[in-house]
Amino acid sequence: MGAQVADGADLEGAAHVTLSEHAQRNKEAWTGYAAEYVASAERNWADDEMTWGVWSAPEKELRALPDVAGKDVVELGCGTAYISAWLARRGARVTGVDITPAQLETAQRLQAQHGLEFPLLEASAEDVPLPDGSFDLVVSEYGASIWADPYHWIPEASRLLRPGGELVFLVNGTILVLAFQEQEIPPDEQLRRPYFGMHRFEWPGDDAIDFHLGYGDWIRLLRDNGLQVEDLIEIQAPEGAPPHRYEALAGPDWARRWPSEEIWRARKVA
Amino acid sequence: MSSPDLTEHALKNREFWDNQSDEYDERNAKFIERGMAWGLWQISEAELQVLGDVEGKDVLDLGCGAGDWCRSLLRAGARPVGLDNSQARLDRARAGNEAAGVDFPLVHASAEAIPLEDASLDVVMADWGAPTFSDPYLFVPEVARILRPGGLFAFTGGTPLDWITFDEGADSYSDRLQRPYFGLHRWETPEGSVEFMLPIGEWIRLYRRSGFVIEDLIEVQPPEGATSTYRSEAEIEWARKWPMEQIWKVRRT
Repeated sequence: MGAQVADGADLEGAAHVTLSEHAQRNKEAWTGYAAEYVASAERNWADDEMTWGVWSAPEKELRALPDVAGKDVVELGCGTAYISAWLARRGARVTGVDITPAQLETAQRLQAQHGLEFPLLEASAEDVPLPDGSFDLVVSEYGASIWADPYHWIPEASRLLRPGGELVFLVNGTILVLAFQEQEIPPDEQLRRPYFGMHRFEWPGDDAIDFHLGYGDWIRLLRDNGLQVEDLIEIQAPEGAPPHRYEALAGPDWARRWPSEEIWRARKVA
Repeated sequence: MSSPDLTEHALKNREFWDNQSDEYDERNAKFIERGMAWGLWQISEAELQVLGDVEGKDVLDLGCGAGDWCRSLLRAGARPVGLDNSQARLDRARAGNEAAGVDFPLVHASAEAIPLEDASLDVVMADWGAPTFSDPYLFVPEVARILRPGGLFAFTGGTPLDWITFDEGADSYSDRLQRPYFGLHRWETPEGSVEFMLPIGEWIRLYRRSGFVIEDLIEVQPPEGATSTYRSEAEIEWARKWPMEQIWKVRRT
């Protein structure tokens, strides 16, 4: 694909690029969190089944992604790059992009351990040092889709896509964002903030800054960047789902009734 | 023109509207007499830019009621057609037309089975009206059928969020989740009508498989100083925080 990225073994990055204030803070926050994500990274890399989000919703049921065999794919905010690993095993030529070196180090170690190497690039999804029109699929799950500013990363995703290429990303459920409580406390039925004006959020007890938009704002942002909305998959916790470790992201009882996660699918207009 | 094969909820809604037609006009007619203006807060088309230029276009109002939108569209140079499921509402429309000295076709039918030709319209619009009282799985494909390629479908209605937070006991919108979002579809109101709503993702999938591309979802916030004969002061305050009304804009491919 002609990109100036390294072959797995060496991280290449854009360390010289000035990061936005929230990107710098998120990089620091994720440097601190990285150790907590090693165990789940190891599990995900060892498991062949591709799943989405905290409920491990199987891709074979959701069908959020196109066939990726032989396709150029970039994952924005790849973290430990388990999604990239799943896609690489399905025949994609993947590149993982993340802002946090500590996360990429985990990814690199797991690449070596599993003998599955693909380029990893240290960069912000808001300013990706990769060429225009060089990918068939841009994917993000608990990555840029939550911790980068959509008004910066969506234009980048669109720029990276070839005409007809797809953007697929997972965000926290819109209603969940309205009901979020502080870290570690699960949401209840109370709406705790207005819908109008949703964009940038800081939470007590969380060093990271995250971003959430309303449905209409997502639709306009995608459309304004030449991306045609194809689907919004609202994920329902499966019946009898066991609780997961991220309590603030809603337990199974809540997430049976209201979507705790949503996947947007959009296509770059030819 | 009349359509004989009504669904059970279309029959209920026909009776509901036939019965409350006069009362509805008494309560709201003065408020909605403002020309081309949308929804609960009567925000002008000039401001929202939902329809754009309608001059010379064939436009169907889905749930035309007393015909106010159609008469405004006619003044703007469109060729309007008004459809309503209630004969009592169409009688009001006809009386309004006579008073204004204008005429255009009025169709007595449900939006779920529209007695109009395939690909015969440039714009199908509804300001609340039929989409609130019709099953989306039936009316969205019908609208797709009667629109010409490139035609616009735009309509206002309630929102999933107002559906799931409405407190039936208190008969008002609340700041709590009162019922599930998954499975939203149909609600039998205490007044005897049957209303419909879908989750956002369900709407999107229905549009896509019916042959529409999605242009916009405008979530309407009441403007400063907004009044409404449809909602109380407390409800207007609710609507400043959360969307109580949304406008879908989708285009036939």
